[in-house]
Amino acid sequence: MPASPVFPFMPGGAADGASLPSGAVMLTDLTGSLRFGLKGGGSAGWLASRGVPLPAVNRIESWRGARVLRLGNDDILLLAEDADNALAELAGNWHGAIEPKGYSSWREEGWAWLRLSGPRAPSAMERLCALDLRADRFGTEDIAQTRVGHIEAVTFRSQAGFDVLFDITASAYFARMVTAAARHCTDLPIDTEGRT
Amino acid sequence: MKILTCPMNGPRNIDEFQSFGPVRAEPDPDMTADADWSRHLFRAENRRGMVVEWWRHVPSNYFFLAERDLVTNEIIRTFDASERRAQS
Repeated sequence: MPASPVFPFMPGGAADGASLPSGAVMLTDLTGSLRFGLKGGGSAGWLASRGVPLPAVNRIESWRGARVLRLGNDDILLLAEDADNALAELAGNWHGAIEPKGYSSWREEGWAWLRLSGPRAPSAMERLCALDLRADRFGTEDIAQTRVGHIEAVTFRSQAGFDVLFDITASAYFARMVTAAARHCTDLPIDTEGRT
Repeated sequence: MKILTCPMNGPRNIDEFQSFGPVRAEPDPDMTADADWSRHLFRAENRRGMVVEWWRHVPSNYFFLAERDLVTNEIIRTFDASERRAQS
């Protein structure tokens, strides 16, 4: 299987030649998955009026198979891996609404969404992020807005490891950072050539 | 590593923050003498004591206030801007 290129791949662009590591530390690109972010006055109220449960800031709630991430009082991001219909319906309602509803934070265009997994993912994360992200300190419903691999990022736990959201223009840089961190923390093979 | 406690995100490396300078009075330009207005625009304070400053946690784009000792550089406390509005 060929190594996964970094999304969005553009010949001659910064990501040209960059690929995602696999093996003991693995990156999976979820950037193409549906997500919907609202920001600004009225966004929390509008979502609540549509029955979306709003957690405390920096916490995660579930809604119809999607995850609701509260990044600020009026900064909310919904992620769908398996809830495309619910999220598409909500986004459609928002576009048609005229009441105070915040504004689109354009997360589906502006942010990359990568999943760090593999048996040595926690060790790699220790090298990428200064926060204490051990399971007893950082639970499945917690969010950390911090730096991961020296870039501003939002991270939280997934079943496989850690999900990381960050500026999409840094995708290739992030993939290379993770590969370098992985090679420093394990003797197990880390591949970017598609051999594993 | 120097640590600053963000009211929203908790203790973080100060590298994650950006300083926006002291909270300043906002005089009405129509009601202020030219000399005082000029001082407001072009003169910066350089005194000892406590200062309340604007800071931003960059990854979350959250602006808040920090009270700092100008002599020891110690951060006394950090707090949400709504607390200042509630006091004024």
